[in-house]
Amino acid sequence: MAIPVRVIRPVSWTTVRPGEALARLADHGDLFRTLTLHRLSVRYKQSLLGPAWAVLQPLALMAIFTVVFTRLVRMPSDGVPYGVFAYAGLLAWTFFSTASTNGTTSLVSHAQLVTKVYFPREILPATYVAAALVDLAIALAGLLVLLLWFRIPPTMNTLALAPALLVLAMLGTACALVLAAFQVHVRDIGAALPLVLQVGMFVSPVLYPLSAVPARWYGWYILNPLAGAVDGFRRATLGLRPDFWALGVSALIAAIALPLAYLLFKRTEATVADVV
Amino acid sequence: MQPDVEIDRLSKRYLVATPRHAPAAPRSWLRRFGRRDRRPFWALRDLNLAVPRGETLGIVGSNGAGKSTLLKLLSGITAPTSGEIRLYGRVAALIEVGSGFHPELTGRENVYLSGSILGMRRAEIATKLEKIVGFAEVGDFIDTPVKWYSSGMYVRLGFAVAAHLEPEILLVDEVLSVGDERFQGRCLRRVGELRQAGTTIIIISHDLASIERVCDRVVLLERGRIAADGDPAPVIAEYRRRLIAAAAAPSDEDARFAPEPVDCSLHV
Repeated sequence: MAIPVRVIRPVSWTTVRPGEALARLADHGDLFRTLTLHRLSVRYKQSLLGPAWAVLQPLALMAIFTVVFTRLVRMPSDGVPYGVFAYAGLLAWTFFSTASTNGTTSLVSHAQLVTKVYFPREILPATYVAAALVDLAIALAGLLVLLLWFRIPPTMNTLALAPALLVLAMLGTACALVLAAFQVHVRDIGAALPLVLQVGMFVSPVLYPLSAVPARWYGWYILNPLAGAVDGFRRATLGLRPDFWALGVSALIAAIALPLAYLLFKRTEATVADVV
Repeated sequence: MQPDVEIDRLSKRYLVATPRHAPAAPRSWLRRFGRRDRRPFWALRDLNLAVPRGETLGIVGSNGAGKSTLLKLLSGITAPTSGEIRLYGRVAALIEVGSGFHPELTGRENVYLSGSILGMRRAEIATKLEKIVGFAEVGDFIDTPVKWYSSGMYVRLGFAVAAHLEPEILLVDEVLSVGDERFQGRCLRRVGELRQAGTTIIIISHDLASIERVCDRVVLLERGRIAADGDPAPVIAEYRRRLIAAAAAPSDEDARFAPEPVDCSLHV
């Protein structure tokens, strides 16, 4: 008796098999690569500045915030020039918000595909996270120029960039997966997200350092998983020692949130085509 | 003989929003805010079917009989409400031509995009590219963005990609009706080639003449159930007879809006 290559059954919480799902995802690695390249090339078709936009956007925001927070009011910036400080924080934040915003709408914007062809649906949000990661890499080149300009040398602390970035990417993916699954049913998610992200930018250490958060708020403050990740990312790029306690809390939350988000996504995936 | 596809008591229920003019049960505005009134609609009900390896099976039936739902379930696009499908080979679906084409990308880029969406690997696409371009007859336009293609070229390129899939089980939905007659002929020839190669093929079409010509067996679906199953000629004749009878009598679509069965699970 032959063993079926694939068995299709009704979906419920008890029939979601993460191992099988991940194996199928790995089998579609080529699709993931092709779609990610596609995101990048489509974005810059008929565009004059092309990938330079990845640098120009945080640079413009940096300029505004630098004027406000050095000329109008003084903002502490961990002892480095405010411009570099803000740029590094904005990179981390822009990555997270771009990944989660684009990821959220990915299933709905690909309704045509989702109702016609089967492939692991998580590839859609994941390619937006990957594309945002490429933008981040380009924008990091801009940061390198700023670091050279202000003569900020790398240190051993710079190595913390890798874990901080990993935590940010995990959080962005988790967010994109959950919100994409809900967006299919309730379009209000997409409408509310820009507002939530705007608030998020001010309750995360983007424009101010984590070290400026009052000690009595600190315990609550770092429960925002983006706090440790964004600040850790920035401090690492500036060669400063990250707040490993806060980064650890972020990593722990990300490590719990991503598998849960994936399970939730796989649970809803099977009926996305009926609803979208 | 080992079947390639086994379908066991397969059912699919959709929840359909109640039309506005239908009398709604009285309930608080709060509940209505949260959930619209929906009634269950059974697109497929307790379907059993086995398709032996290498068979070309045609599925016919009027609109809404459940043909497309069956194909969507077989390809994994949507999950069944109850029952089970066991597949003994790699499945590819030729459900819509040009799936995943992006207007700004060139024909070549779109071949890669569409090919990988349909389940081909990049290396596989690279080796087949020449054949795909030849089949689509788009020639030098392969490096032009597809937004400047004529609709015929667009459709031909889309089908050419899908036609070069080499699955063990191929699902075909209504693609026999695209393109001009010459192109349709090529499509049928391609289906014939795959059939020769031993591919199990499940075709849905309203083109009864083509179905009769290419299929080994035909299943007639009616309201989510199998109404006839057997050799192409008698089943298609039966379908034609029923079409004429249905045209004479008014239909009773409400029959499938039935309450949920008490137990529709198979995991006993």
